[in-house]
Amino acid sequence: MKKYSLLLLSGGIGTRMQQELPKQHLLLFGRPIIIHTLERIDELEDIEDIIITCPKQYIGELDKMIDNYNLKKNYIIIEGGKTRQESVFKGLSRINTESIIIHEAARPFVKIEEFKYLIDSEGENVSLGLDIPFTVLKTKDGVISENLNRSELVNIQLPQKFNTSELKEAHQKAIDLGEEFTEDASLLLKYSNSTVRVIKGSDYNIKITTPVDYKIAEIIYKDYILNEPS
Amino acid sequence: MKVYIITGASKGIGKATAIKLSNENPNDLFIILARDIKKLEETKKLMHANAKVIAKEIDLSDTPAIINYIKYVGEEYGRIDYLINIAGFVNPKSLLETTIENFEMTYKINILSVFVLTREVVRFMKRTGGKILNVASTAGMSSRPGWSAYSSSKAALISFSKTMSDELEEYGIKSYVISPGRCATDLRKLLAPEEDPSTIMQPEEVADVISNLMGIDGNNLDGQNIIIRKQL
Repeated sequence: MKKYSLLLLSGGIGTRMQQELPKQHLLLFGRPIIIHTLERIDELEDIEDIIITCPKQYIGELDKMIDNYNLKKNYIIIEGGKTRQESVFKGLSRINTESIIIHEAARPFVKIEEFKYLIDSEGENVSLGLDIPFTVLKTKDGVISENLNRSELVNIQLPQKFNTSELKEAHQKAIDLGEEFTEDASLLLKYSNSTVRVIKGSDYNIKITTPVDYKIAEIIYKDYILNEPS
Repeated sequence: MKVYIITGASKGIGKATAIKLSNENPNDLFIILARDIKKLEETKKLMHANAKVIAKEIDLSDTPAIINYIKYVGEEYGRIDYLINIAGFVNPKSLLETTIENFEMTYKINILSVFVLTREVVRFMKRTGGKILNVASTAGMSSRPGWSAYSSSKAALISFSKTMSDELEEYGIKSYVISPGRCATDLRKLLAPEEDPSTIMQPEEVADVISNLMGIDGNNLDGQNIIIRKQL
């Protein structure tokens, strides 16, 4: 069986949640959000080891959490970078497997089946994604400047799967050129000849970023994870 | 082979439960815990001859001992399927006569040890699912002058058990809490020394209910305080 490393981004410090704690440390039905995510990942046979990037001041706490929840895989926690892109690059330097899965701690509703779907999907570089059910327009100086054809757009979700060396090379080029990206499929697209396939994601796979997301998360947990009526 | 841990198994409801469950599940492993190893060995002798039984002397006020032992069990057997918390403590006194030591010991045995056992067991049980049952008391549901430490600790246990039912649901762990009324145990003798034990509910009757809950009859009864009371 081909083995993967998983890079889990846990770098946020909660500014958009208006909380002192990073959002991924907030409790969701009694457990920290990041633990919901890690407990699923811990069950994945295809994952060999897990590198977590997080703020320096939370490394000890996260290490203790992993012990408390008796998680079994090989976890390596490293300090994240100043930006998401820098965190990914730092994480990539610790990856030795041919392929990598990238995920975010603040997306706790990805089921094991979805990870397997991604891993088993054809192609080396694959992302989850959803159609966009609303209109997206470009603006310039506060006025609408361009209509975007939503049938050509996709709402990119994590997890994503990449060829490790291709992604490393692309990141190095981005650094050399001083370019900044907020996710890795677009970065890879720009700096390599690789194609990135998109497979269907899930409406439930939200990223918990704002206070509203946190409220919605409780409902998703009960309805989607526990199968209980809200 | 399923693994059971039963506390307070040297006498009363714990002893009756250990015997009942071993008779119904003779191919399983039973780890029975109490302070009095002689009485635990007596319980063991009364359990099903085919069942594997480990009688372990342990003081439930000794938190590090609990943590170390559950870690050993989890690593040695790879699973813990049932945790049945029956051990209890009472030293009934009026408010003004209740010492700090009395109150602390009551809470250590009746709620702190249950919390520690649950926490340590769930570290393993979360991988397989399982059932946890706590024995509270009808005393935890209403005012009991002279029993404030005991009754409030049982109220805490009822609340803890309900919370565990929700918090552990995703792991496939069901949390039960039962509140027996008057039952002919040594603990009851401390609370009502004048009472004729033959006139009230017997430990075996409570063990029957526990056995049902641990089997398939327990579906849809978790997460709610179940009162077990003999109707006179």
